[in-house]
Amino acid sequence: MAIKTILVIEDDRFIGEMYVRSLQKAEFDVTWVVSGVDGINAARAKKFDLILLDLMLPEKRGTEVLAALRADNPPTITHVIVLTNFDQDDKSRAALQADADAYLIKADITPRRLIEIIGQIDK
Amino acid sequence: MTTTKSANKNPETPKPAEISPRLDSFYRRFKQYALLTALAGQVAVGFLIIGMIWFLHYQLPSDILFIVVLGSFFILEIFTTLIITSTVLKPTEVFSNALVYISGENGHVVAPNVNTDRDERSGLKGLVDVIYKKAAESRQPAEASGEGTAVHEALLQHLPVGVIAQGLDGSVLYANDAAPVRTDKNDRVVIDLIFDGDDSLEHWLTTAQNHKISDVHFWQGVSDRPLDDPKRRVFDVLASFERGVNDQFESVVIAIDRSGAYRSLDEDLDFIALAAHELRGPITVIRGYLDVLKDELAAVLKPDQFTLLDRLNVSASHLSGYINNILNVSRYDRAHLKLYPREMKLEDVYAGVSDDLALRAKAQNRLLSVTIPNDLPTVAADSSSISEVFTNFVDNAIKYSREGGQIAVTASVDGNFVKISVIDHGIGIASSVLDSLFNKFYRSHRSRESVAGTGLGLYISKAIVESHGGQIGVSSHEGEGSTFTFTLPIYSTVEDKLKSTGGANQGIIETSSGWIKNHNLYRK
Repeated sequence: MAIKTILVIEDDRFIGEMYVRSLQKAEFDVTWVVSGVDGINAARAKKFDLILLDLMLPEKRGTEVLAALRADNPPTITHVIVLTNFDQDDKSRAALQADADAYLIKADITPRRLIEIIGQIDK
Repeated sequence: MTTTKSANKNPETPKPAEISPRLDSFYRRFKQYALLTALAGQVAVGFLIIGMIWFLHYQLPSDILFIVVLGSFFILEIFTTLIITSTVLKPTEVFSNALVYISGENGHVVAPNVNTDRDERSGLKGLVDVIYKKAAESRQPAEASGEGTAVHEALLQHLPVGVIAQGLDGSVLYANDAAPVRTDKNDRVVIDLIFDGDDSLEHWLTTAQNHKISDVHFWQGVSDRPLDDPKRRVFDVLASFERGVNDQFESVVIAIDRSGAYRSLDEDLDFIALAAHELRGPITVIRGYLDVLKDELAAVLKPDQFTLLDRLNVSASHLSGYINNILNVSRYDRAHLKLYPREMKLEDVYAGVSDDLALRAKAQNRLLSVTIPNDLPTVAADSSSISEVFTNFVDNAIKYSREGGQIAVTASVDGNFVKISVIDHGIGIASSVLDSLFNKFYRSHRSRESVAGTGLGLYISKAIVESHGGQIGVSSHEGEGSTFTFTLPIYSTVEDKLKSTGGANQGIIETSSGWIKNHNLYRK
């Protein structure tokens, strides 16, 4: 199943716009929300092929968003990539790694690299 | 041996000076006494012989009388000599017995009795008392007795510092209240400290016992429980070994509870993580938009303008590399750096940083060639950490080589390991500083002003590689260039070990080489 629709949950406007712009250019269908609650609602309203999830979010943390969506039945998540700049302690990082398709430090990847990684998840 | 109860041997109750005669008067008096005894004996013999001649010279013929008198004289002299000798030797006997007694030599010698009034008057008792007193003083430290012992024990027990005496086999002989010890399931008292890898108390003690006369070792920040345990305490530990100091123990361990101080270090770590988060935000934006711009301006930019964009890109990626190093070092120094090695293809690890490093080399006019054979066996690697090692090595090679210089990254099998080499033909390193190269904040003295950097890269690289069970190394010729190497264990040689670490690690060891499934590839 090819990844076509992407939900970006990201509160930083610069970073959010950057992902939207480059993902759209790569011909993905992108929806962008800025809070955890909006993210949960959007994911439940429509099933996305991939969710890009920030961790430091207003209202609800990324970890809570992930837990809420993971508990949904029928499942609302197909693929999820956790994107953060905040280095977790090892325990929560290990938990997140087990629960997501990828765990990335935003500062270490460029939009180009992100698109490559999406391509690899898609395989 | 024990201290006896008789008054003359008890150092605690010396006789008052006015009753006992002065010690130095004994010999003078005894000499007079011995002389008098000897003279009296001889005079007595003389009188007896004269008396005998006087009585017998009427009854016996003179030749028989001569024989009888001579015989009697010899017999009397023998008796007199015995009496004189025993008198004169008496103090020697007493001193000798007293000395043998305190020496602890096994035998039948009992403590001499010098409690008579005569001995007291003569001063013999005083002299023997001195012998016992001195002997008792000299053995007191090893064999504390009476009230002194009680004070020492109470002091040791309530010392705010853990004190542990270890038996020759490393077992716990004594531990005070503050010592980090617990009772294990076999009901033995054991030291309750978690040491890091090879740098353990046990390892140190074995080494010291086999190779040293005496040794002291210091560990900082040793905890007694895992990180997330609320009862966790953190100690600074000092151990001292001295061969033959005692029959029962040769090593003493002092543990100072420094949980408070280390807790504030943990808070520093939180601060560093937060600061890193704040710094990474703008870097994400800069790198991201540069990437977008490069794409969207492809049609209008001139080649040299692309170069400018690349330089911006490289600088931004340097920044994010420094932040990773700082974060890792602060974790490592607080023993918080945890790595999760799993089965990886080396080329996949390198793939994560290959674009970035190629760009860095290109922007700084170096020729980077990477030769990682794709038939290498898989290695056990924490991918993101090893990516950082690659970045640090290649970055160094770029920094310390010349414009247009060649840098080669190669990999090959070396025993149970895969050995990775990063070779440059740059300025090289003086052999005198090779050893300090991997120290924290070390920077080549010649480059301190001309080359940017934190001096953390090689330090954290060494920590990362060694945590994988590999080794880091360098060889260099000044003016000709340097070769930095590190090794990673071949996965199949450590597979069992990795799988048996159990618990949380179990899930992250994946045997498939589908690298996108390895979330860890991107973990920072």
